[in-house]
Amino acid sequence: MSEHSLGEFEELILLLVAAHNHEAYGVLILENLEEKLNKKVNISAVHVALKRIQNKGFVESHFGGITGERGGRRKKYYAITALGKKVLDRQYELRTSIYKQIPNISFGQ
Amino acid sequence: MNIQPPKRALKLLRWFCSEDYIEEIEGDLIEIFEHQYEESPRRAKRQFTWRVVRSFHPAFIKSFQKFNNSNTTAMFKNYVKVSWRNLKRQPFFTALNTFGLAIGMAGALLVSLFLYDELNYDKMFAGADRIYRVNIDNMTAGEVNKYGAVSGPLADVIRSDYPHIDGVARFKHTGSKLIRQIDAEQNVKEDNVVGADATFFQMFGLDLILGDKSSAFKEANSLVLTRSAAEKHFGLSEALGQEMLLDNDEVYLVTGVMEDLPKNSFLKDYNVFLSVSSFDDHASLAWNNWNFPTFVKLKEGASEADLQAYLGTVKDRYLLPWAIKTYPGLTIESLKEQENSENYMVFDATALTDIHLHSPNISGDFNLNGDVQNIYILSFIGAFLVLLASVNFMNLSTARSLKRAKEVGIRKTLGSHRSAVVGQFLTEAMLVTLLSLVLAIGMASVALPYFNALAGKSMVIPFSQVSFWLLVLGASALLGLLSGSYPAFIMSKFSPLKGLKGGTQTVGGARTRSVLVIIQFAVSVFLIVGTLVVFRQISFIQGKDVGFQKDQILVLNDVSAIGDQVNVFKEEVDRLAYVDRTSLSSYLPTPSDRSGVTYFPEGKVFQGESAIIIDQWHVDFDYIPTLNLNLISGRNFSKTLKTDSSGVILNEAAVSMLGQTPESVLGLRITDDLSNEDEMHFYTVIGVVKNFHFETLRNSIDALSLIIGKREANRMMVKLKAADFATTIEGIDDLWSEMAPGQPFDYYFMDDSFDETYKAEQRLGYIFITFTTLSIFIACLGLFGLAAFNAERRAKEIGIRKVLGATVTQITLRLSSEFLKLVTIGVVISLPLAWYAMTQWLQEFTYRIDIGWMVFAIAAVLAVLISILTVSHQSMKAALSNPVKSLRSE
Repeated sequence: MSEHSLGEFEELILLLVAAHNHEAYGVLILENLEEKLNKKVNISAVHVALKRIQNKGFVESHFGGITGERGGRRKKYYAITALGKKVLDRQYELRTSIYKQIPNISFGQ
Repeated sequence: MNIQPPKRALKLLRWFCSEDYIEEIEGDLIEIFEHQYEESPRRAKRQFTWRVVRSFHPAFIKSFQKFNNSNTTAMFKNYVKVSWRNLKRQPFFTALNTFGLAIGMAGALLVSLFLYDELNYDKMFAGADRIYRVNIDNMTAGEVNKYGAVSGPLADVIRSDYPHIDGVARFKHTGSKLIRQIDAEQNVKEDNVVGADATFFQMFGLDLILGDKSSAFKEANSLVLTRSAAEKHFGLSEALGQEMLLDNDEVYLVTGVMEDLPKNSFLKDYNVFLSVSSFDDHASLAWNNWNFPTFVKLKEGASEADLQAYLGTVKDRYLLPWAIKTYPGLTIESLKEQENSENYMVFDATALTDIHLHSPNISGDFNLNGDVQNIYILSFIGAFLVLLASVNFMNLSTARSLKRAKEVGIRKTLGSHRSAVVGQFLTEAMLVTLLSLVLAIGMASVALPYFNALAGKSMVIPFSQVSFWLLVLGASALLGLLSGSYPAFIMSKFSPLKGLKGGTQTVGGARTRSVLVIIQFAVSVFLIVGTLVVFRQISFIQGKDVGFQKDQILVLNDVSAIGDQVNVFKEEVDRLAYVDRTSLSSYLPTPSDRSGVTYFPEGKVFQGESAIIIDQWHVDFDYIPTLNLNLISGRNFSKTLKTDSSGVILNEAAVSMLGQTPESVLGLRITDDLSNEDEMHFYTVIGVVKNFHFETLRNSIDALSLIIGKREANRMMVKLKAADFATTIEGIDDLWSEMAPGQPFDYYFMDDSFDETYKAEQRLGYIFITFTTLSIFIACLGLFGLAAFNAERRAKEIGIRKVLGATVTQITLRLSSEFLKLVTIGVVISLPLAWYAMTQWLQEFTYRIDIGWMVFAIAAVLAVLISILTVSHQSMKAALSNPVKSLRSE
């Protein structure tokens, strides 16, 4: 499992990449993330996470075309790989299976 | 779109970011920037820069392989080579620079060692940050007195009551002991012997070299030695299982040997530890037995506030019930009334690691505490030294830069970037710093023994520690970079055209240089004033009339070793030719025993507001004449009056606490005997002595009562008549060996002990004077260099002036006055600051000098004089030179 390990933040990024498959790039992910988490995130954290999950083979990337925006810089789009999807599925199964084991806990008075 | 992100930030990003990621990162950053720009351009720019900095992540930076291409390496080698040649070509400046910097660094290194040592005091014990000392705060008339030793039963109470602790350990001070192997003849005096609980080793994480730490103190009369004490008495291997005799009558078994205790711990002076169960009172249930310094260790994660709150409840739950049971006169009401009149006690705790620097000395302390103020002062001085040295470095380098204008010109013409020129000069700066570092470490090693003596420490430079080298190299690199970057950037700005034409290249930063000189002299003058004030205060204290005779008085220690014959001994000594008087007492106006009691005047017993808690000294009939104490009313104790054994003599402070005058107080009866209400023992006031300083002059004089000794006296004062002390001491020694065979003869002069009390101030004074000298020296080096440079730069001007008829005096004055102006400004700036700082320092003393204008005048004149001496040599040399030499060229 260790080579397929996935940190919490990395998992979030991977989920967002999967949600916007082939359309996801740095700023889009950042904005989505900030909206969902409702707090400020630094872009460099996103970059680092993207690089890590790409090195692990969970995502692949390709460049888009040059436009007038972004000072003429191309966007780097990310797409999830089969392996990435498998890891996400497994993660999801694991969590729901454990979650279901939680007995009915009441916190009321 | 016409909006641009900050150029510098973008350049930085492109510089460090690897090719593979630059497009993505740059693009994203710019996109965010463009979004934000619509809201607030300024914020967008700021945040862009911040994001660039945040992107400096190992994952994205260029690999070092690329930097390390052959070209860069070659350039770097060239930098070093050229720098080395340059330094060699100007040996005078190089030496000046290196030497100045080295002195600054050596000074800073020593100061850092000192600070490290002080700041880590007591931190080496296991879990030191969880260990607390329990204190008792004794509130009398709104004034708090803290004692670091508490009641014996408290430790057991905490142990059974309070769950959040890992351990409790009690100590018991026993002062010095005469000690010997059971069958040896000669006693040896061990100054620092202390009793400790069985839990002591475990709690403080101390291991035994020999013996078992869990059982070492199980039995009464067990003894553990430190390694050096064991070696002194037996030799290490034989120590275990030996029997030792203490004070000639108690037999102890050596059950363990431990490593010597760290020199920066509260136990540093202690060599002999006794099991606390050897003392009669160790299991006593009396709460008024304030003899046990008690330490607790909290469990990990337990809160200090909770401990404090718990200790606050101990008095009501244990101390008061015990007191009411023991003293029939006390009721809960009378106690509560006493509390309302601001006389009460409360237990609290002080963190072990705060004791040395953050708490004043209190009774029960193991040794003299440091003062956090000295830490601040020294940090300042250390920082000053480095500042001065790097200022010198900057000044000399920029000043010298004129000579390098051609070199810069050629470099630039041949295609050198500005960055390459900066690199060249930075390399030079680093090289000088490195040389200085080597020199500084050499200097520091040579100076360390002296510094240790000065500061009363035994520090070593931790050469074998990697962290030390990392720190030293890191700090030096930073210093080189900081002080090198200013000249480097100034010089790399030179225009190649002007440089090559050889015309007047304006050396930038003339103003900066002036400011730097001003700072240097401001700092120096500040230190001169500080030194003068500290030394004047010390001599004021030592010369002050303390109200008792301290000269020509010899104090013999441990006279109780003679036993019953002590009075015979006193008479024999009295009979010696040059002995004026003798007196037996454990209580001296210099550091010695102290004990306090609570007195009530007759008729007002147990009325809280009439109680006075004051010192009570046990003395003899000769005490007052021996010390030449001044009786202002009444009389001394008299041997012929039987009733004087229940007489008491007060000092003025005690009289005013009672609300009386020296005349009206005579005949007043007071008591400290609270145990039996029906048959109380009263003292009658028979005399009043003028206040004398028995505590240091930092404090005001406390209230004091003298009674005829009821306890065994352990010291004897011998007042000597004439100058030939050696013969007299020899005579006393002969008597001593006759009457106390095998006991060490231990004596000192009272004025030495008095001076000892002011050692802290004296040390501060010497440290001040050392670093003041250093800083003035560094400042002068800088000034000297600048003057030399200035004379050289203006050689032509001087030549022309001379040709046109200026005299040598005029030229010398002209050259010197520029510097004097700067020095004067420095002096003017620093005087008020120095005045303020030293006034603050003096606040600590109850008896202190007025600083007076003389100190400032001396400091100012000294600074100006030194700078004149420094500058005038160079100026005169320039003025005397032959104008033909300087005008011929061109």
